[in-house]
Amino acid sequence: MIGMYLKRVMLLLGSVVISIACMAQGAFTVDAPRVVELDESFRLVFTANSEPTSFNPPAFSGFDVLAGPSASTMSSTQIINGKRTESFQVSYTYVLQPKSVGKFTIPAASVVIGGKGYTSNPITIEVVKGDGNAAGNSERSAQATGNVSGDDIFMRMGISKGRVVKGESLVATLKIYTKVPIAGFENVKFPTFNGFWSQEIETPSNIEFVRETVNGKIYDAAVLRRYMLVPQQTGSLAVEPSEMICLIQIKSPAGGGQRSVFDDFFESYQTVKKRITAPGIHIMVDALPPGAPATFAGAPGGKAMSAKLSRDTVQANEAVSLIVTISGTGNINLIEAPKIEFPADFEVYDVKISDKSSKTNKGASGIKEFEFPIIPRGSGHFVLGPVRFSYYDISSRKYLTLSSGDLELKVGKDKGGNSGMSSSLSLGVNKQAVKSLTNDIRYIHTGLSHLKRGNQFFVASFTFYALLAIIISLFFITNSFLSKRIERNRDIAGVKNRRANKVARARLKTAESFLKQKLYTGFYEELHRAILGYCSDKLALPLSDLSREKIAESLIKKSVKPDLIQELLSLIEACEYARYAPDPGGVEMDKNYSRAMRLISDLEV
Amino acid sequence: MKRAIFLFYFCVVLSSMNAQTPKELWASANNLYSKAQYADALQGYLKIEESGYASESLFYNLGNCYFKLNEIGKSILYYEKALKLNPSNEDLLNNLSLAKDFSLDKIEEVPDFILKTWIENINYSFSSDTWSYFALIFFAATAFLLLNFRFGSSSRLRKISFFLAIASVLLGLLAGYFSLIQRYRYTLKNTAIVMKPVSTVRSSPDDSGKSLFILHEGTKLELLEEIGDWKRIELADGRQGWITSLDIEVI
Repeated sequence: MIGMYLKRVMLLLGSVVISIACMAQGAFTVDAPRVVELDESFRLVFTANSEPTSFNPPAFSGFDVLAGPSASTMSSTQIINGKRTESFQVSYTYVLQPKSVGKFTIPAASVVIGGKGYTSNPITIEVVKGDGNAAGNSERSAQATGNVSGDDIFMRMGISKGRVVKGESLVATLKIYTKVPIAGFENVKFPTFNGFWSQEIETPSNIEFVRETVNGKIYDAAVLRRYMLVPQQTGSLAVEPSEMICLIQIKSPAGGGQRSVFDDFFESYQTVKKRITAPGIHIMVDALPPGAPATFAGAPGGKAMSAKLSRDTVQANEAVSLIVTISGTGNINLIEAPKIEFPADFEVYDVKISDKSSKTNKGASGIKEFEFPIIPRGSGHFVLGPVRFSYYDISSRKYLTLSSGDLELKVGKDKGGNSGMSSSLSLGVNKQAVKSLTNDIRYIHTGLSHLKRGNQFFVASFTFYALLAIIISLFFITNSFLSKRIERNRDIAGVKNRRANKVARARLKTAESFLKQKLYTGFYEELHRAILGYCSDKLALPLSDLSREKIAESLIKKSVKPDLIQELLSLIEACEYARYAPDPGGVEMDKNYSRAMRLISDLEV
Repeated sequence: MKRAIFLFYFCVVLSSMNAQTPKELWASANNLYSKAQYADALQGYLKIEESGYASESLFYNLGNCYFKLNEIGKSILYYEKALKLNPSNEDLLNNLSLAKDFSLDKIEEVPDFILKTWIENINYSFSSDTWSYFALIFFAATAFLLLNFRFGSSSRLRKISFFLAIASVLLGLLAGYFSLIQRYRYTLKNTAIVMKPVSTVRSSPDDSGKSLFILHEGTKLELLEEIGDWKRIELADGRQGWITSLDIEVI
């Protein structure tokens, strides 16, 4: 409870201190016309917003002090809807008169308010040689002439630059200069700026007149409109004249019998209408030089660019933004969003554009921010950019390209989404079709060129026909070779068989006749002789040398089959046995004959 | 005399320095293409073509270069040229269809007899050279089978060989026919591509003829006859007319 109370007291105390500080906040200003005539007396007022303890006036070199300082105090209290505002002013007024023509600076004056020192700004006053018709004395001149000449009031359109490149901004100011008091305007026609993108940057609601000299004469000048212009075309662009009708108050001409006593006593004014025109002007607009880089965003002027990601580590399916900030002088709000290529797996949404631009007398400047909202759909490590932005630098007359560095974005695995299903088995991922981003032709063939002159086709080439001829001739050659060989093989076997049969038949001719006559002994004698004769002829052995062992030995040497040799030997043995043995019967003779026949044929083949 | 010899020598040296072999040109042009310098690569390929060489790969790469340089008509022309050399190349068919997407004219083709297109599709599934290799292989097989038939050891083998030999010789003849047909179509210069962005087809072979229809760059035409500078053409949908030779380029 006590703590609470203490707190409240502290708060109260704090607010009191703040209000005192506000009260004590001093300000000290100086006010004087910027331009005066040589023999004109004028007022110089120093104003402080609270009671100073001391005032230290400056030295007025070049001016005569006619009066002053005279101090005056003004305080006012206002209560509106229970809200109380107080203001307090102390002013020190001097009446000065210049001594000579030229520019004079009145140094700073200083005051001490609440123990704290404040100084005013030094002020420069231009003294011109006047013609006695100074704006302050305009009543007199108007009174003298009775009407208003073109010199007394005119309008003028001023431009900050006469020659610009397309897209470069310039400031046009429409000003009115007058020596006579103006009661009002009628039929104001402001110019239309054909070929320009125009914007009013200053439209004063109440016109404030400031003294200015034009051609050595002092006028009250006021800004009617200030425009920022951005030429959209090239060539000599005309700004149309602007015009209006001014209502000017002049004193009624003196003289004339109708004037009453009161007229003399109360000065009477009458209002005169005067049409004034600001002459049209021409502005030369040069085209931007050729060779603009592809990243040129369509605005000249000095610029700076920065690009950054709102976060550089995100999960998949989480939003992140790439923020590109472009700042500088020139027409910032005409800049288009730079083109950025994002990885194909990123979803990119519409660019958010915000700009803060200020338009001052010097032209436009500001900051434009492009925010690219992106959602990466897959995880991985991505490098975005570099973001490039080009502009036309007016001072160096060159295109300059700014480039941000590579922006790295780490995208982690998607954490959200299936968090609720973490306990159960995941059903797998959503399958995505492989999207075709764009179509392009396939790459060139880089392997063997297969360059050929003349005939491009194998089918009718010499090689083709040669291969065909080779196949056909190979066929015929193989064919004839094979058939010949078969023919020859068949012949040799036949001849051999035939001859072997013939030899055997010839050898066994006598034995055959004995067989037919059934002469037992004669048949075997003849058969034995025939076989031995055949063997002696075949093995080139003399008949006297022939023995069964010798025959077997020679036949083995001639590599005759062993069973044939055995057969032959058994046949010879059978013959020798039969010669000394009785006749066993007719069948044995026939059998032995055919055995011999076959044996000789086989040996012969 | 000495000076003349020197000059001659100098000239020879110069010309030999300028002349690159087609292989070097090919390699350098491929290299330029890979660096996206399409115009320079194109010059290289064109130089090879000027020196009388041709190949499917060369025409294909030329088509790619023209495509990259946004000359769709030329690109289609070279793809079609390459297609005549090898109608079975997948890359080629892909790029040609893509290039055709960029040509303005849409022409409804009159459908052909189904068997004819079917046979044509079989024919165009291999290049002429492949078909001729097939033909040689089939003929060699036929020869082998015939020998087998004549000298086979068993009657069963001989019987099988006989029928296989008949089949093989028929296939060989078909392959040879396909191969020759492709070659014949290549030598037949009867198709052309429109080269001008806009070209008028007239009813008679002179400028006074009535304008029948307008063709755009990249459209394929069949040439029927020729009178002077004018060619009678037929579109895939059967419409006919006369077009000036300056507007088209024969494949």
